[in-house]
Parts: sequence; structure tokens; C-alpha cells
Amino acid sequence: MPTPSNEGIPSQENSARTVSSNLKENEQTLISIFEHCSDVVFRRLTLHNDAKLLLVYIDGMIDKDFVQSSILKPLIYEGVPQGLGALDSLAQMCDQEFVAALQTKRVTSFEEAADHILKGSVAFLADGETSILLADVAQFETRSIEEPSTEASLRGTRESFTEHLRTNTTMLRRIIVTPDLKMETFQIGKLTKTDVVLAYIRGLASDNLLEEVRSRIETIDIQGVLESGYIEEYIEDTNYSPFPQMMSTERADVVSAGLMEGRIAVFVNGSPIVLIVPMTFWDGLQAPDDYYERFLYVTMNRWIRYLFALFSILFPSIYIALTTYHPEMMPPKLMMSITGLREQSPFPTVIEVFLMEFMFEGLREAGIRLPQQIGPLVSIVGALVIGQAAVQAGIISAPIVIVVSAAGISSFVIPRYRFGYPLRMLRFPLLILSGVFGLFGVALGLILIMIHLIHLTPLGTPYLQPIAPTKKSKLKDVFWRRPRKGTS
Amino acid sequence: MKKTMIIICLLVFSAVTSSCWNLKEPNQLAIVIGGGLDLSQDGQLEVSSQIAVPAALGGENNGPSKKRSFVVVNATGKNFMDAGQNLQMQLSRTLFYAHRQTILVGQRIAEQGVAGQGFLKYLDMIVRNPKSEMRSVIWIVKGGTAKDILATEPTFDALISTTLYSVQMALGMKPYYYREFLCESLPKGGAVLLPAISTNSSKKKFIYSGAAILDKEHELHLIGFLNPEESYYANWIKGRQKTLTVTTSESQKEGNISLRVKSPKRHIRVEKDAQGMHVHIQLHGFGNIVENNTSLDPSEAQDLGAIQKKLSQEAERDVVKLIQKAQKQYKVDILGLGELVHQKYPHEWKSLQKNWNDTFSKMTITAEVHLRYHDPGQTNASM
Repeated sequence: MPTPSNEGIPSQENSARTVSSNLKENEQTLISIFEHCSDVVFRRLTLHNDAKLLLVYIDGMIDKDFVQSSILKPLIYEGVPQGLGALDSLAQMCDQEFVAALQTKRVTSFEEAADHILKGSVAFLADGETSILLADVAQFETRSIEEPSTEASLRGTRESFTEHLRTNTTMLRRIIVTPDLKMETFQIGKLTKTDVVLAYIRGLASDNLLEEVRSRIETIDIQGVLESGYIEEYIEDTNYSPFPQMMSTERADVVSAGLMEGRIAVFVNGSPIVLIVPMTFWDGLQAPDDYYERFLYVTMNRWIRYLFALFSILFPSIYIALTTYHPEMMPPKLMMSITGLREQSPFPTVIEVFLMEFMFEGLREAGIRLPQQIGPLVSIVGALVIGQAAVQAGIISAPIVIVVSAAGISSFVIPRYRFGYPLRMLRFPLLILSGVFGLFGVALGLILIMIHLIHLTPLGTPYLQPIAPTKKSKLKDVFWRRPRKGTS
Repeated sequence: MKKTMIIICLLVFSAVTSSCWNLKEPNQLAIVIGGGLDLSQDGQLEVSSQIAVPAALGGENNGPSKKRSFVVVNATGKNFMDAGQNLQMQLSRTLFYAHRQTILVGQRIAEQGVAGQGFLKYLDMIVRNPKSEMRSVIWIVKGGTAKDILATEPTFDALISTTLYSVQMALGMKPYYYREFLCESLPKGGAVLLPAISTNSSKKKFIYSGAAILDKEHELHLIGFLNPEESYYANWIKGRQKTLTVTTSESQKEGNISLRVKSPKRHIRVEKDAQGMHVHIQLHGFGNIVENNTSLDPSEAQDLGAIQKKLSQEAERDVVKLIQKAQKQYKVDILGLGELVHQKYPHEWKSLQKNWNDTFSKMTITAEVHLRYHDPGQTNASM
């Protein structure tokens, strides 16, 4: 979604004004600020002693029941509430923030008042009072907590984050019960004024890293933030890398684990995806239930993932290199069957693989975009037309279908789905290289990828750590998942 | 960064656009799976190649395919590659030697060589040509030509060339690959034993027929054959036999016993004294009694001793006969004793190696065989 250009924020003129003691005047200013905003409600009240009160709020963003029963009813039926001392006027009430709501605030600028009203506060304006009293009564429809949809796991919490920032931070607070869990709030976006929360555990997260992330977030100058991806793009070291440089998760347990390892989480209001920085290559291949299941099984699973990750990036290009450049490297019987199956195909192997890879990526993309009701259709058409029919018609040879689908499926073995993107993407340059130079080209491509990976140090952490540079103490979480008992 | 990317792209595209690549689709290749060397009628080198027809091998084979799974093409030439060039004229695809599984050498060319020279010099191509497979098994065709064998229909597989090494495995020997032949034929002195194969009477099936003796001191000319049983013992002495079945000779009264030897061991001692070299060959074999048609009961210690003694004696007699045959009939060292002498007496070997076969045939060679059983089988006395 394109973000509109960063010019001319309207209604700045009015909001710069400060609140006067004249209610009529203040009302006019607010009305001009909220011109053509049909959802803004101005409620004028006249109380017992001719005191005039103006309530401003946005319809649908406040808790109506609460406002009616706890604020309006006492005011209208009983007059100005009597607290410790006598309150003579509404102005005094506003001055002492005497409203039955948890969060109240007094502001003197219209700009601030407008901000709060837009976020679900009720503004109280009284005659003769030079400040606006704001009571936070925000309540709006939010999605309830559901199961994680992109990070399914057999074992572990079933809760995933929602779009509501507070819900998300609460989930974190419920897991990590210490005042050392810090949450710093930033407001990013001129129009969206999105709350961005930097969560970390004091004492675990390194100050340098924290300072770096903080400063990168502070320098963000953007019109709007619709998703945590906007923030990610600003924090990451380079945008020109196929590899993700921070983890994104919708699971509170993953965030907690990250924080306890000294990482920093970035919550963005309106996004169920939380970012965790920094990330290493191996994080992309680890699943949350790695730490919940028994370690032997997990170790096996990890190796399966490593092999499949390699398989997914290399299989098609190795197939091309072996069949067309180095047929002597294949077992004779395999060579014979592949040749036999290729006998009728009209295209060179490279072209065939390219065609099928494109079709596969197309199917994958279609699978995400299609409405659920049409989903099965794609799988049927995909399986029949692209798989079986193409082979039977002699357009595509059968081994290619096996190679492409095996490589495609193996990229989905990777638990962090975003980590599968670079593997699928890099397959194409490797295909070209292997089609042009054979195994030599594949080796060249792999070397280039390795150079890039070693070069990559997101937020100062080498991407291939702990393998390169080697950190022996941390290897226990790469080659195997060492059991926790007896180890610190 | 940008510059390097542009340079890399340019390099890749220049390679593609100038068609400067050696990409070959598998269906542009004629995959040679077996090669044969023969002497043609007019005394020239004749090369036969068994070429796989992949269309009949892979793909959706619903029911027996009508196409034959291979073709055998022959051509004569000045040498291997020249003949290959002539083979190429009969084919629409490039010959591809990297999957050659078998090399067969006809008896005539093995005996006579081409123009008086041994056939070995033509095998240089197999080592030199990088696209040539060194792991082919090598066989001598007894009483026939290589192309006869190549044209036979194997029972189980589609192609005979891919099955020949398993023939040796099934008989309990290590498959004999070309690279081993190379290692054995280069040091001086003695002879090389190559496995031999022949066609059966109908010329449709092959049959293992012992070992061929190639005299190293005579340009590797073929000088004779060992029958299959002799070849097992020869392989045992050379350490190439993994299992074999020893059966006592038939006698009307006593019946016979078979012992399946599982892990044949050998121990060869070379000694030198005033009278010259002595070689003592000790063969040890453990195994199971798999057949017993005698009245002896292996569960009784006395009978068991008799069985073991009989088996050992008979095997020893065969081994001695084999040694005699090598020393008296062929007068060549087929047992690879030269290599042992070389290892033990490297100085003497320098003078011995030139005339090793002569020394060998006059040497004292003694042999003893000890066969023991592990398991008498699932019953006691013969049924």
C-alpha cells in the first residue's frame, strides 16, 4: 500500500492554539478541527447551577456503558461530585481531574486533546476552565486471541498475538514477571501515530544494542505505519539482502525466549507480528517446540531441517549440473532411467526446470491469495495439469516434476516461513549458473552466497554466529539442542 | 557492488550467447555400458560397444516394451578410439564412455594380440581418457568373442553389462575391476588372473568359466585357463574369495559332505635359505556344514574330527594340484607370490623380477588347508 507523500498535514493551524477560558470559543476551535468528521460527537450539557459542560468523543471508540453510568449519570442527577473538599464548579472538578475513570489527563493544547480524542478518550470542556480534561475510556472491537496461524507447533502455547498492542504486551507481562522487563514507547508515523514498543529485559539486553535500536527507531520519519514490516525496513542493516535480518513472530513464547536471551522485541500497534532483533542464520531454522520436546528427537529434527534447507536451495541446480554437464557422476542405472524419461521432452533441462519452478511459485502465490472456497481447485488443477498431464503429454519430463516439487516442499520444512523466501529466491540465480557453468557454477553461486552471509552483521551480530565466528559455548544450540538439566 | 554485479552478469551472458558451454542433454548421448575387444577376421582390432536404448529402459513401461533395451555396434580401427570414431558413424548420438560397466576381451585377441603385441596397449585409453570409467569390470571371453557375450540376454536385468560384476559377487568373489587389473599388470613378474566368461551352447546365456591366465612376462598374452573350481582356490590364495563351498569327492560307499566356508583366511610364508626360496601356504576356513550324505554324525567328536580331516585333506589336494598346474603346466606365478617376495626381500626381488616365472616354477611350494566347522547344521546324523 503506497504511503501518501509527507507534505501538508491539514488542520495544523487550529490545533496549534491553546485552550481559552471561553467554552464557546473552545468548542468552535474543536469543531473546526474535527470538520467533516461525522463520527465525532459533541455533547453539550447544562448542569444544576447553569454550569456548561462539553463532552467530545468519537462514537464507537469509547465504552458507552461506562461513560453513561459512571460519568454522565452522577453529573446530571447529582451535580458536581463532592470529594474531600467541596467542589463548587465544573471547572474545579476538571481541575482536580475528578472523574470516575482510571486514566485521566489535563491538557492545554488542542493538538494534544485532539490526539487523545482520536485514540478513544472523552474530552471534558468546562466554562471558565483553561484546560481540557481527558478521560481514557477507549473501548473498541478487537480480534480475540487465536491460535498462531503461521507458526503452528505441536507443543507450546496456543496463544498468538493480536492487532491490539496492549493485549500483546500483557501477554508478555504474564510470562515474564519482573520489573526488569522494560517497555519503551515511541510514536511513529505522522498520520497513524502508531505506538511502537521496545521491550527488553534490563541487565540482559546489551546497552549498545539497545542504544542502536533506539536511535534507529527514533530517526524513522514516515507518514504511516501499517505493519511491523515498516519498522523492520528502517531498523535492518541493509534492505538489499534476501535473508531476513530479524525474526518475526506471532507467539508470545518466542518473544519471551528472545528477551531472555538478551534480544530486543519491537511491538507495533496494529500488527500481530512482533520483531525480535538481532537474528542469526540458525534462528531461521529453529522452531519454538525445539525447546519443549525431548532433545534427541529435536536434534534429529534440526538435522532434517538443515538438510532440507540445503536440499531446497541446491536440488534443482544440482540436477541440471549432473544431467547436462556431468552425467558420469550419476549412478548408471539412475542415468539410464532419467535419460529414458527425458527421451520425449522437447525442451532442454534448464528450460524445463525454469518452467516448472515458475509454475510452482505461481501455485504457491495463488494458494495464498485465493479465497478459501477456491483453494481446493488450485490444488487439483495444479496437481493434474502441471504434474501429471504435462508429463503424460510429453511436455515436461517426470524427473523435473519430482525435482521441482521436492525442492519446493522442502523449503516449507523451514519453521520460520520467512526464512524459506531467500532459499526459494536464490534457487533461480543458482539455476542460471548451473545451466551455464555446471557444477562449477553451482559452487560459484554457493561461494557468493557464503560471502554475503559472512558479510551480513545485522545490528553488529554476525549472521552465521556461532559457526562463523565460532563461539564454542553456543554451538550446543546449533548442532544439537543440549538438554537443559545440569547446564546453565 | 554494482560493478561486480554487472561484470558477473556480463560474464554469464557472454558464456550463454556465444554458446560457449559444454552442456549436453542426456538424450544427446549414446551411453556405452559395455565395451568389447576382438580380433576381426583380417587381424584388425574390432571394438564392440553395447549401447543402452534409454527409451526402452526408463519411462512408463506398462508391460513388456517392444523395443530392445540395447544395441551392440561393432567397428574396426587402428586403436580403441579410432574404432570408436568408426562406431560413431553408425550412431546419431555422441558416444559417452563414462558409464561403461564392463570390458570384455575376446579369447583370440587375448591370445594373439594385434600384430603380435598384447592387447594391453589398447587399454591405455581407459586410463587416459577422462571421460572413461575405470571402475568397469574386466573379463576374458573363453572360447568366443566379446560381441557374442554382449549380445546375450541377461535373465534378470535389462542389460548384461551391468550384471557381470554381480556374477562374481554371487560366486563369493570380489568383483575384478579394471583399476585392479591395472595395478596388477604393471609390476613385473608373474601373471594376472582375469575372470573368464563364456556363452553356453545355445549362445543365448553366459556362464562363468573360471579364470584366464595372462602372462606378464609375455606382454600379457593369454596362456590358458583355470576351471571354475581351481579359480576359487586361486582366489582364496590371492585373498579375493569371500565364501566358497568345499565338497568332498564322491565315493559310492561313503557319500560326501559340503562345507560352506564363510571367511576364508590365508597365511603365506616366504623363506629363503641356502637352497633358495620356500613358500608355505596356509589356508584356514571356518564354515557351516550345509550338506552331509555320509553316515558320519557331526555331533560326535570322533566323527566331526573325521569330517574336518577329510574336508581339509581334499581341499589340500586340490590346492596342491593347482600349484602343480601353475608350476609345471603354465610355469607362471598365478598366485601373486611375486608380490610377497617383493615385500619381504626387496633387494633380491630386483634381480628376481626379470625371470620370476622361471624361479617360481622351480620353487618349493608347500600348502596346508585347515577347514573347521562352526555349525553342524540343523540336524545331527545324515537323514
